[in-house]
Amino acid sequence: MQTQRGFCIRICSSLPESRRLLAHPAPATIMTRPGNQKMNIRPRFFIGAGLIILAIGYLIGNAMRTTSEYYLTVTEVAARQSELGAQALRVAGRVKPGTVNWDPNTLTLKFEIVPIPDLDAAGAPIRPVVATEPVSFRVVAAGEPKPDMFAPGRDVIVEGKLGAGGVITATQVLTSCASKYKPKQSQ
Amino acid sequence: MPELGNLALALALILAVYSIVANIYGTRRNAPDFVVSARHAIWSMCAMVTIAVVVLWLALLRSDFSLEYVASYSSSTLPTAYKITALWAGQQGSLLLWTWLLAIFTSVAAFQNRRRNPDTAPYALAVLAGVAIFFLLMLNFVTRPFDLLPVIPAEGSDLNPLLQNYWMAIHPPSLYIGYVSASVPFAFGAAALITGKLDDGWIRSTRRWAIFSWFFLTLGNLFGARWAYEVLGWGGYWAWDPVENAAFMPWLVMTAYLHSVMIQERKDMLKVWNLSLIGLAFGLTLFGTFITRSGVISSVHSFTQSGLGPYFLSFLITVTLSYTALLIFRSKQLRSPAEFESYLSREAAFLFNNLILVGITFAVFWGTIFPVLSEAVRGVKITVGPPFFNRVNAPLALGLVFLTGIGPLIAWRRTTADNLVRSFAAPVAIGVTTGIVAAAAGLRQWYVLTAFSLGAFVIGTVLVEFRRGMNARRHMMNEPRAKALVNLVAKNNRRYGGYVIHVGVIVAFIGIVGSSFFRTEVKKSVHAGDSFTIGSYTLRFLGFSEVDTPHLASATARVEVLGPDGREITVMTPAKLFYIRAQQPATLVAIRSTPLNDLYVVLAGVDDSGQTATFEVFLTPLVFWLWAGGLLMVLGTVIVMWPNVRERAAIATVLSRSSSADRELADLAARGGD
Repeated sequence: MQTQRGFCIRICSSLPESRRLLAHPAPATIMTRPGNQKMNIRPRFFIGAGLIILAIGYLIGNAMRTTSEYYLTVTEVAARQSELGAQALRVAGRVKPGTVNWDPNTLTLKFEIVPIPDLDAAGAPIRPVVATEPVSFRVVAAGEPKPDMFAPGRDVIVEGKLGAGGVITATQVLTSCASKYKPKQSQ
Repeated sequence: MPELGNLALALALILAVYSIVANIYGTRRNAPDFVVSARHAIWSMCAMVTIAVVVLWLALLRSDFSLEYVASYSSSTLPTAYKITALWAGQQGSLLLWTWLLAIFTSVAAFQNRRRNPDTAPYALAVLAGVAIFFLLMLNFVTRPFDLLPVIPAEGSDLNPLLQNYWMAIHPPSLYIGYVSASVPFAFGAAALITGKLDDGWIRSTRRWAIFSWFFLTLGNLFGARWAYEVLGWGGYWAWDPVENAAFMPWLVMTAYLHSVMIQERKDMLKVWNLSLIGLAFGLTLFGTFITRSGVISSVHSFTQSGLGPYFLSFLITVTLSYTALLIFRSKQLRSPAEFESYLSREAAFLFNNLILVGITFAVFWGTIFPVLSEAVRGVKITVGPPFFNRVNAPLALGLVFLTGIGPLIAWRRTTADNLVRSFAAPVAIGVTTGIVAAAAGLRQWYVLTAFSLGAFVIGTVLVEFRRGMNARRHMMNEPRAKALVNLVAKNNRRYGGYVIHVGVIVAFIGIVGSSFFRTEVKKSVHAGDSFTIGSYTLRFLGFSEVDTPHLASATARVEVLGPDGREITVMTPAKLFYIRAQQPATLVAIRSTPLNDLYVVLAGVDDSGQTATFEVFLTPLVFWLWAGGLLMVLGTVIVMWPNVRERAAIATVLSRSSSADRELADLAARGGD
């Protein structure tokens, strides 16, 4: 800012008095200025614009480095388990029925997540050709109320870190809220 | 009835195609009858889409579950008001609403331009009809609102409980009105490129459309934020979710556009930039619909995955490529003779404000699509959450606030040192004083201090402007103070309405800063009769009351709130709802709002015995001012939009530049049409 102001005051005071008084001139007609000054100003504008663009680029790059999280499915977490360490994760999975334990007094929610099955065109789950070991991770979320949409069998996104023994310590459990509801059939 | 809906949509598609052919043929061959006929086709198309909308509304109101759409998004016990809003609860209905709005706006534009812009309007209307054709193709062949179910269910699945809320009733239509009306200035920009009439006629003819669009985008974003605040129950109002970002980006670009067109109107500069901005704004409205509807980016709002994605993407790419090609084709004619002269000029302030707004848009875009990009490039999805957006945008917001103060007061072309001191001495003093007072009051975060000081500075500049204008009138016209003020605003509504909007933005910004930095949170499980504290408030849980209806069951907690002096202030009633049809719990938040802070009580859990409740309570300072700022923005926009004789004359002057031959054609066309 300092340099910009200095620069302008210099330009303005170097102008003849009569031009300085034209604070609110009529546009368009008196656009021409002495050629040498005009040559100076255009590049300087590009410098100003360039600096703003660089600053925005720097802000984006810097924020990317410090805030990005891996977004993985349960199967991917299993595959990369060893390299994830203390990395911030978002894990998409399905709440395994029969594993949910909610303690309202300590606000602790424990459950297991399993992979979301792929669907074929008709909406039926595709069974893997090769039988694989069923993957699941235990999730512990403490200190957050249970989300309204949370229920066994629902798809959730767990934000947190993978700790020792394959337990995900979650800071947040997000439930995806599809705009279309199928009422649960009584089983 | 559903057959009528399908028929109407099919006819609308045919009429839209015909209107394009007739408009272009009529203009090229100098056959005004065809232009008139095209106009009538557009109006008929609008009538057809209206019929389709009415048919769907009637089906919803009559709970006609033979329609898949009605069975999916409504139920017989749904309150009537939400049966009406269910029109835009699902994909088919949303697209139908979109198409309807587009048809209405195109009809209005056709009416407005029945005499005006004889050589560009037919092309603009053809562009609008082209957009309508895309949506009508989707409605006719891909995502059909009037599809029937093979077996008629006895009951519908009901509307998502989160959408059974009055903000949800007004938020999507506002946003859609904002989205769709942006296509009118876009169409006239495209028409200017097609015809080579590249003066500012297209900007002036559609200036009100642009403000109208900006106004509804503002409302749409605010309503959405308010909905999130009242319904989602996490104490915040903005989560940088892809769907929110999709609504925010067009707003940013329209804001930039509304500022940069002033430079073109005034100085005949930035033609390419303005045409690019309106193209970008339109593209982002399509992109917004694309990401909410395609499920490409998983979002908390995540809508159903659908087959729409590829179509939208193809349309978006087609529009972008053809528009860019037009810009390149006309680039020689778009060169501007004028140039920037000084950093200390209004056009420079506007240019930098534009760069920052577009920069914020880019950052938001980048953060939104990064998961998809990283998956495509590196094979692993990497997401960035709210911290990314906050970290990038917080400093940029300060820059923008600073320019909001500078821009309106600094002179065009260049400013002298005297002028700077005269204009800015008082506002700077106000800003610095505010900073010192805030620091003395114990605020230490540099960001908050800077934000408050800059905010006060901007409000100071606006006060100086009002005072200066008022005094000038008092001296010249000999008017008393109040009358001078009213006349000042009435005679220069565009300018002073703009100032009111600026104040609104600053007030909202202060609300955002205050609520982001100073929110406190307490989570507690308590028995009936127990109490706990947050800030200076004491909350005592009194007990539950329960209500059951066929539509929903609810448990309402009564919470007594005591002030610091131990006196009762109010009783708050957060509730837990259970929607029977959807088998879905929902939370009803209780909020007590004051200018100083909001007390926000969530009933997070009820234990089975009915004696213990879990509460999550937020104390959020200054969030009141976000909504107050929004109201000021609304007021300011109303002032700006107020009819102004002088402006109408200015438009008439610009439009009379068209040659006399054009005018003859226009008269002929108008006569044929009336």
